[in-house]
Parts: sequence; C-alpha cells; structure tokens
Amino acid sequence: MSQDPFKNERFLQSKLDEYHVNVPDIPLYLRKKRWERFINYLASPAKNPMEPMVSTINGIMLVKAGPVVCGTVLSVLPVLIFV
Amino acid sequence: MFERADELMIAYQQGDMDALDQLYLLLKGPIYSFVYRYSRDEQLSIDIVQDTFIKLHRSKHLYEKEKGKISSYLYQIAYRLMVDKLNRRKKWRSFLPFLTSVDQKEVDLADRMSVREAIAALSDVHRPIVLLFYYHDLTHEEIANVLNIPKGTVKSRLHYAIKKLKEELGGEENVSRSL
Repeated sequence: MSQDPFKNERFLQSKLDEYHVNVPDIPLYLRKKRWERFINYLASPAKNPMEPMVSTINGIMLVKAGPVVCGTVLSVLPVLIFV
Repeated sequence: MFERADELMIAYQQGDMDALDQLYLLLKGPIYSFVYRYSRDEQLSIDIVQDTFIKLHRSKHLYEKEKGKISSYLYQIAYRLMVDKLNRRKKWRSFLPFLTSVDQKEVDLADRMSVREAIAALSDVHRPIVLLFYYHDLTHEEIANVLNIPKGTVKSRLHYAIKKLKEELGGEENVSRSL
C-alpha cells in the first residue's frame, strides 16, 4: 500500500503484531436467541459492588457489623414500640 | 479471500444458503477480532458477530457489489451495532454502576497487555481506524465508508493514533535501549 503510515514504524508493527485474538466457536443463528443471551449476561463476570469497602479495615468492619446492627435494631424496634 | 467472499455473497443473494454458511466461516473471525480488539468484551463480540449476520440475512438485497466489498459492508454493520450497544450499556451503567463487567485481562503476557492497553487507551474515534487499517487491511476509502466520515479525516486520525501509540508504547526509547 503506497500510503501506509506504518511502513517505517517497525517497532510499532512488531508490538501490534503481538496482539492476537483467539476466535471462539460461534454458531450461526439467523434469529436472535434473547433468552440464551440473557443467561450468558447473567453468567458473565461482574464487578463486586462491595470491593471498595473491603479494601479498608473500617470498610470490612462496616460490611460485617452493618447487618448485625441492622438486625438487632429491627428486632428491638417492635419491642420498644409495642411494649 | 475477499474476492471469494464477494462471490459467495452474490450466490447467497441468488438464494444459495450454503454460500451464507461459507461466507460466515470466512468472515466471522475477522469481524470478531475487530469487535473484540475494540471492546475487549468476549460476550459482546460474539453477540455482535451473530447480530451482524442476522442483519445481513434480513436485508441481503440491500448489498450492492459496486459500492464496495462485502467484508467492508459487514464491518460497517458490526461497527454500528457495537457502538449502539456500547452507548446503551453506558446509559444503564450511569443508573446502575454495579453492572460494570470485569475487564478480562491476561496477566501472563506483559507485552501483549501493554499493546492491548495502548489500543484501549485510544479514543473511540481513533481506535476503529487503527484496527481496520492495520489488522484488517482496509484502505482509507473503505474505512471512510465503514465509519461514515471523510477520507481526509481518516488520514489525519490515523496519523494522530500512530503518534499516540508510539507515545504509549515508547517506541523510540525501547529501540535506542536495545541498540
């Protein structure tokens, strides 16, 4: 190709050539399989929303103690209201 | 390979379903690679490959050989579907940030990581140009058609992207060090 800007970029070419992609086996469908895609979406790895909290000691304490405190408050609350 | 794909597309337009199977075998890999290198999302790339051929099947009569190669036509469909899907995801993530999927990295190949990272660091307008030009051998004109932008814009963006990649990968530095 006469207008190839990569022609003199040998280092860049060698780097870009390292990027290989393995193509998985993809069946040919001529109609969308929405249910299958939804299942695949649910099964795909997702970020843990609690991750920023568990990186600090205070965060871990909050994650561990939070449910206990909430449970205690919810069980004591009816006693305080009705007794 | 691409001349064969054009012939298969004509046969498919004339009703030969085996030609579609062969066309799929021939082009699913390049389309998957393009979408994967752009998005780095395996499931999205698989869905886009399938959607591209579903769209081709539904509107096979719209393809005209005179306007360009079938491979460019399929890259165009795949690119538009991918951009639509990524924009929709971005909107959902602004409401529900925990839906963010894990970035699948291969930690065992440090060099490959760096080139992957450098390509991912390019902006959304520069990345497809580098991918289509370098990995898929499309001409400036074909890229202009796929992305629906002027040919001059393709050239200037390609030069900018190369400059950015050299900065990210430290080309000159490494060469002088190895010497």
